[in-house]
Amino acid sequence: MTTRPISSNKPIASKDTIPFYRNVKLIGVIAQVIFVIIVLAAGTVIYLNVTRALRASNLPANFDFLDVRAGIPIAESPIRYNTNDPYWRALVIGFLNTLKVSLVGVVLATLLGILVGVLRLSPNWLLRQLASAFVEVVRNTPLAVQIVFWFTAILTPLPPRISNPIQLPGNVLLSNVGLAIPWLENTYLFVNWLPWLGGGVLAGILAYGLRKRQIEKADHHGNPWWLGVVVFLAVAIGGYLSITPEIPENAATNFRADRGRGQVFLDANQDGELDEGEQALAYIPTRVSIESGQLSTTSQNTTESRRNVTSIVRFPLIRANEVSDAEVVFADPEAASDAGLQLHFVDFPSESILYQDRDGDGAFDNGEQFDENGEGFAGYELFLRVYDFRRRLVADRDGQVRIPRFEPISDGEVEESAPASPSGGLFGPPAGNQADDTDSSIEATFELVPLRPWVLSTPSVPVTNYVGGITLSTSFLALLLALVIHTAGFIAEIVRAGIQAVPKGQREAAKTLGLNPWQTFSIVTFPQALRIILPPMISQYLNLSKNSSLAPLAAYVELFAISVIIANQTGATIPVILIIIASYLLISFTFALILNIVNDRIALVER
Amino acid sequence: MMIPSRLPPVPATGARAWLRDNLFSSTANSIASVVTLVLVAWLGINLFSWMFFDATWQQIWNNLKLFAVYRYPVELLWRPLAIIGMVMFLLGVSSGITPSGETNITRGVFWSFSGLVFLLTVLALLSWESVRLGWVMVSLACLAGYTLGREKPIVAKALPWLWGASLPLGFVLLYGVPGDAGNILRVVETREWGGFMLTLIISVVGITVSFPLGIALALGRRSKLPAIKYFCIGFIEIIRGAPLISWLFIASLLVPLLFNVSPDRIGPLLRALVAVTLFSSAYMAENVRGGLQAVPRGQREAAQALGLSGWQTLKMIVLPQALKAVIPAIVGQSIGLFKDTSLVFIVGLFDFFNIANTVVANQPESLLVTGGIRLELSLFVAVIYFFFAYRMSIASRQLEKTLGVGER
Repeated sequence: MTTRPISSNKPIASKDTIPFYRNVKLIGVIAQVIFVIIVLAAGTVIYLNVTRALRASNLPANFDFLDVRAGIPIAESPIRYNTNDPYWRALVIGFLNTLKVSLVGVVLATLLGILVGVLRLSPNWLLRQLASAFVEVVRNTPLAVQIVFWFTAILTPLPPRISNPIQLPGNVLLSNVGLAIPWLENTYLFVNWLPWLGGGVLAGILAYGLRKRQIEKADHHGNPWWLGVVVFLAVAIGGYLSITPEIPENAATNFRADRGRGQVFLDANQDGELDEGEQALAYIPTRVSIESGQLSTTSQNTTESRRNVTSIVRFPLIRANEVSDAEVVFADPEAASDAGLQLHFVDFPSESILYQDRDGDGAFDNGEQFDENGEGFAGYELFLRVYDFRRRLVADRDGQVRIPRFEPISDGEVEESAPASPSGGLFGPPAGNQADDTDSSIEATFELVPLRPWVLSTPSVPVTNYVGGITLSTSFLALLLALVIHTAGFIAEIVRAGIQAVPKGQREAAKTLGLNPWQTFSIVTFPQALRIILPPMISQYLNLSKNSSLAPLAAYVELFAISVIIANQTGATIPVILIIIASYLLISFTFALILNIVNDRIALVER
Repeated sequence: MMIPSRLPPVPATGARAWLRDNLFSSTANSIASVVTLVLVAWLGINLFSWMFFDATWQQIWNNLKLFAVYRYPVELLWRPLAIIGMVMFLLGVSSGITPSGETNITRGVFWSFSGLVFLLTVLALLSWESVRLGWVMVSLACLAGYTLGREKPIVAKALPWLWGASLPLGFVLLYGVPGDAGNILRVVETREWGGFMLTLIISVVGITVSFPLGIALALGRRSKLPAIKYFCIGFIEIIRGAPLISWLFIASLLVPLLFNVSPDRIGPLLRALVAVTLFSSAYMAENVRGGLQAVPRGQREAAQALGLSGWQTLKMIVLPQALKAVIPAIVGQSIGLFKDTSLVFIVGLFDFFNIANTVVANQPESLLVTGGIRLELSLFVAVIYFFFAYRMSIASRQLEKTLGVGER
């Protein structure tokens, strides 16, 4: 290294100017000017290239396409949508679907992540190891693989929804189209309850404020939130109970058991028919009971899983507690007994396998579901006869009520169609224009049940699809499961690190003060750990939202998926790209804003 | 006063003490242990019986070549194998020269990968005729490299150069030399590339190229010149704001438009690489920035006091300290990038993950039913990704310990 002699001690006179190429400020300005020129030049070249290419290929380069009819079928949407809606509405639905999966995912991932993170510090060796194994597996496999795993390997092979969805406790149904869960719907009486809810909120806040002041005055430890919540709940529940259950006046239905459907409406002129201008009533609980009836179906050859199950017989799902008795019979018992066919119930009475008892042991053996040629026994008609069928169901938002389509029980004669005999039921089939296509009628009682502000709608399968409750599609479930489990792995590590970062002395000091383990955790360890946990946790939430863009792998339609479809359909690549970037930046900046607010609050808490 | 005799203390060591302390320390703990044990045993038995009795692994076995290299010509498979051999040789030298007492991070990585190589060699000897010789040579290269490193530690001086040269050399080997078509070094178009090879290529190129870009962006972001600073901030934040899959999609649409060439001139691989590299460099920049911020101000001032120029300060004082501090973060990012390469299906590349999807779609009629071999495939894919990502994350944890970053 060369050493420079210090030549003179006299200060640099202002006249003794530094040569311009050694002036740091000037160099900075020059560098910036050059940089800006380069960026601008590159931008211009790119702009020219893009516009030329767009003109050459005649692709739309503005946002006019947004008003054009989209024609994209979207399976699930939080707002009303049909294929005639314009592109912008499809994009909005995509954005809402992104928000939906992100918000639900964030809540669940937090819960699971905290659980696993705490388990990683458990004194129990086995739980600790299990939690670490979970974290390592989840963090070290790509999210894409996890989504595909949940979607194609776990959820798609579930049993079909028609006849034997998996029945989980609490009227939850799980099948290859999704999870149907009971859901509370707001009836028209909900409006009457609103003042109570509002009052409850006010009373709760008031109670919170009073309690807080009391705690501060007494200068002891306590949580003022509890009282507020209890007061709110008390007012809300009291209000709920004070609203008398009622059946809406003039409510009527055109329900017909032989069609298995009907609509609940406000019958203004009381003629029992839905006329023009009469309003459908949403979310009315009803009860249908049918003394006896039968459903018919024909056996089908299907291949399911690798067991080659063929000759399957399916009826719409009927739960055991909905009927007093049920039986499945052949429409033509003689033909069936001639062919030596019998039924093996997979799920009585909804799903069964038709088989030929070749070894005569009276039980179904694998291989007996098809004949010697390896063909099944398709085309046999079967009846499911039920007695004393009753089902409580809730009309949907259009007032529609659907149950399986029962016919009167015939005496085993296939061809005989019972003569139309208009008969009872509270709202029997109206005589009139529909009379000619009724080949049968059936005894059914249909009554409306008094309703309250909320009504619990449980899912059922009247024909082939879920009705009632809410349905989470397999696409949504797969994406949600993968996102939640993947993110939980990362959150667990954050939680573990956060708890471990609280000095041991804090816990020991708390112990010395005589706090019990729960108090130690809730007022000493947790608040301090939270300060370390929250910022990285929020960036994990952001990651979860951004990762929801892997939705196409689970066939879930959200912002990114819909943008890809639109770009492919319209060719409007540049506008779609701008929309994608702008939407995700919006989400990112929202999270950044939340992060900053949280950081500020944490800093305030600190000292 | 007589002290009453007491029972001997409960032993604090041994299997019983361990069990008591770790599994049955309290009633709640005992219940949790038993429940977990039953659950784990049930899962394990089910998984075991499924793996060996119910699962169909034939499809995966038959398609292994597809999973490894996609449509790379069979007669030229020695070329990717030569690259593996070269890398394993260098890794062997690197781990061989590390004194056994010090740190064995490289050695751990080397032996895990060698284990895989030896396993594949055995499989090749048993059933893959076309690559039998190649795998044997790779195994030998592993051993030769390690021995060389042990015996002649002097080669350590050449190692950085050799590692540097391996990247272009590897590319030339894979792609070939334009010219005579009958040549053993004939060109293999990138659209024939795929499988796990492609996954590795994208990861390696992405991380290597994004490293200098990331450093430049990080320095730019900390620059005092507003034009450069705000450009870098804008670039980093916009790139980080949207997910990788959207950048891949955007690159597949935009790259041909930007450079005004016909779409088939710029293949999907190049588009994916552009997107992956830019995306990765934005994240790299943030990592490096963290390191730059961790360098105490005094270091810079001391360098100035010594009369070092700005460039010298950066090169000799700031960057070495900054980069050393962020090595674990960079390894973490490499793992992330390795996993994220699974998204290149969106530009139509057949990487390891996409091959699995293709195999699902093309499975024979007899299996093309509910269930099929999807479970087998996703487990296979997950296990392969897991092996590499987990090995790297172990190395990263060891690095963190040796660098003392975690302690601070």
